[in-house]
Amino acid sequence: MSEERKRTEVADVDRSLYDFTKSEEGYERYADGLTPEIVRAISEKKDEPEWMLEMRLRALDLYHAREMAPNWGPSIAGLDLDHISTYVSPKTKQAKSWDDVPEDIKDTFERLGIPEAERESLAGVGAQYDSEIVYHNMREEVSEQGVIYTTIEDALHDPQWEPVVHEYFGTLIPPTDHKFAALHYAVWSGGSFVYVPAGVTLPYPLQSYFRLNAAGAGQFEHTLIIVEPGADLHFIEGCSAPKYYEANLHAGAVELFVKDGARLRYSTIENWSKNMYNLNTKRATIGADAKMEWVSGSFGSHVSYLYPTTIMAGDRGTCEFTGITFAGATQDLDTGCKVIMNGADTTASVSTKSISKDGGVNTFRSSVVIGRHADRARCSVSCQSLMLDDISRSDTIPAMDVRNATAQVGHEATIGRIADDTVLYLMSRGCSEAEARTLVVNGFANPVSKELPMEYAVEMNNLIKLEMEGAIG
Amino acid sequence: MAEKDLTPEAGAEGELTLERVNVAPAQTWNRLRTNDITLTVPAPSRKGDVYFSLPRLFEGVECGMGRAVTDWVESQAKGARYVEVPRGERREEPIVVTVGAGEVADTGVMVRAGAEATIVVAAGAGEKGGEAGTSASLLRVIAEAGARVHLHEYVSAGADRQHLESVGISLDRDARVDVRQYLLGGGTVALGLACDLAGERARVDLGCRYHAADTEVLDVNEVVRQRGRSTRCELSYNGVLEDAAKKSLRTTIDLVHGAKGAQGNEAETVLVLGDDVVNKTLPTILCDEDDVAGNHGATIGSVSPEQLAFLASRGLSREDAERLFVQAVYEDALMHAPCPEACAVVEAVADSLLDEEA
Repeated sequence: MSEERKRTEVADVDRSLYDFTKSEEGYERYADGLTPEIVRAISEKKDEPEWMLEMRLRALDLYHAREMAPNWGPSIAGLDLDHISTYVSPKTKQAKSWDDVPEDIKDTFERLGIPEAERESLAGVGAQYDSEIVYHNMREEVSEQGVIYTTIEDALHDPQWEPVVHEYFGTLIPPTDHKFAALHYAVWSGGSFVYVPAGVTLPYPLQSYFRLNAAGAGQFEHTLIIVEPGADLHFIEGCSAPKYYEANLHAGAVELFVKDGARLRYSTIENWSKNMYNLNTKRATIGADAKMEWVSGSFGSHVSYLYPTTIMAGDRGTCEFTGITFAGATQDLDTGCKVIMNGADTTASVSTKSISKDGGVNTFRSSVVIGRHADRARCSVSCQSLMLDDISRSDTIPAMDVRNATAQVGHEATIGRIADDTVLYLMSRGCSEAEARTLVVNGFANPVSKELPMEYAVEMNNLIKLEMEGAIG
Repeated sequence: MAEKDLTPEAGAEGELTLERVNVAPAQTWNRLRTNDITLTVPAPSRKGDVYFSLPRLFEGVECGMGRAVTDWVESQAKGARYVEVPRGERREEPIVVTVGAGEVADTGVMVRAGAEATIVVAAGAGEKGGEAGTSASLLRVIAEAGARVHLHEYVSAGADRQHLESVGISLDRDARVDVRQYLLGGGTVALGLACDLAGERARVDLGCRYHAADTEVLDVNEVVRQRGRSTRCELSYNGVLEDAAKKSLRTTIDLVHGAKGAQGNEAETVLVLGDDVVNKTLPTILCDEDDVAGNHGATIGSVSPEQLAFLASRGLSREDAERLFVQAVYEDALMHAPCPEACAVVEAVADSLLDEEA
């Protein structure tokens, strides 16, 4: 009978790599809660232009005025901003050499493999520790091509780039977007500003790594990337935090402007700890003949609301979204993506995988909107969910809104466990049952891992720890 | 989180606004305006009268359009009709519910263990079929162990008419229901169906074909709760949208914890033929059990250039080809009509679409 069917055991995410903490002694930590005084203090510390302070204060009002929709996703009732510090900073200045980074912070990033990755395969690295960037560097040859990779704060103090930041900042994700977008704009700190001039192709990726060490704190980095016409960039974002019993909050914002004929690949591996509320907002707008590629791995956090959005404004644009989500015990991950196709002959492809175990909850949410002028637009959405036990949960909620008669939209979703006939087929070809099940689970995650940079693919496999041998039954 | 108060609000004099009707169990972004529909219906006009109502047992049957519509129909219907099909009996005569303009029907059917019955809801038939107004049918079906139910729903309200159709079905062990829905247009047609596969090996097979044109609005919400072990759900939707028609289809396969061995499949094909069509689809699978299989597939688009080229080589213009797709919906409806009342619903709107042969 059905309950006698064997289950495939997959070990939980091994978080030991990330679960180490460093003392906050000597750090600057603002009071918990959210007040105009705190917002002014953050702005004053950063010596910002007046327009930015005004934007922060407007956003603060919006945050207090906006309500969360009552019919939305996993509960965030455990999140109390009165017990979250919105600004925590180590007593150090931003360094351009790892030797200048304080020893405990350097040790953190060395454990995470960031300096090694920089040496081997990156064009530039930014490392944020709590609320501030502590390390930023870019290869000289990339800099000579006119590429700018710096912090938003530094760009705001550069007369050449302040007007650019002013022009783009907060336009793609306005503070009015939702309650936590408003919160972000009130207290944002850190993040990256990237500008790739027209026609420039970066041979290696840029990478920003965000580490939240402080307990009961929030991280609100802002990433602003402008890829000019015909340029090409791969940007990698990594994030992690140690586990605490107090709630932590991540409410970052990522605004991506991909101009005509440009290409941007944005890869993310998210390893927040299981006390983290990850309420992040990511959005891209792409021009004619441009290409946006999202590669997303979500493994950590207690609750996630994460739906990278692509607005395909120009004709013949292309968007690909490849994502995997792993929800284990105590995790409720509401993830997915949104695609808005307004240009003619645009193409979008969404492929997601999710794995649920130990009572973890995965919700895949997507929306595909095809506008009236998106003639001959093509979109396919595929969502596959693997359930590894009967105490977990997996939901798919894909919405489609088609307003053009020449568009073609396809959608498929499957939820279930490894099919017995698949295992039987592989066994008939000489595999043992354990090997067969290992093959199926590895094959399930493979389409995502092959899209990641090598070191992240290895990290993902380490995270999922597909230790199948001897774990059947 | 707090639920929104669904108490109907009084609108203009003699009208009632029903908010959050046809709500799917899981919601998407509110800004997509896909989660529900708001309807304006006549305010309940009678007070102090006592009408026949269904046995209390039927109150436990979840209906697709939601509680507000159930309450409104119960307050509007001139009595309720209760039909019982005795144990083991195969009822040859279909149970027919006809709903004309301005009419409201409240029907409960109990199909006892091992019995078999055919139920037909024909909305659009009757002398006043073409008139404006709001009509509604509330149908609740309880099928005991091993019972078989064949449900046919035929809806073709006029251009100025609004029709509400709310259905709730509860199936016990080994009970089966097959549902054929033909939604052939109307100013606003809102249909909700909820099917509770409570018993082991209960099964629902649902086929829905629809056509909407001009500025017609079609809003469908169908929920299948698979609670019993080895239950089976097969949902199939196939429709044609023309002109400036607006369609929202919410389907939910809910694989409830404990429903081991359950399978739920859903497929939708939409042919979009109008430049101003709005087609919204929200196909949801909720899964709280691992030993299950849930699948969904959707294809939305127009007739492909390759198909058109093939048809052109056989002498058919684009218009001819598109007309064939529309005719196919009505011909299928006529072919499967189980009674004259259902035929009448189709014929009332299909004369101009079907050739004499059909």
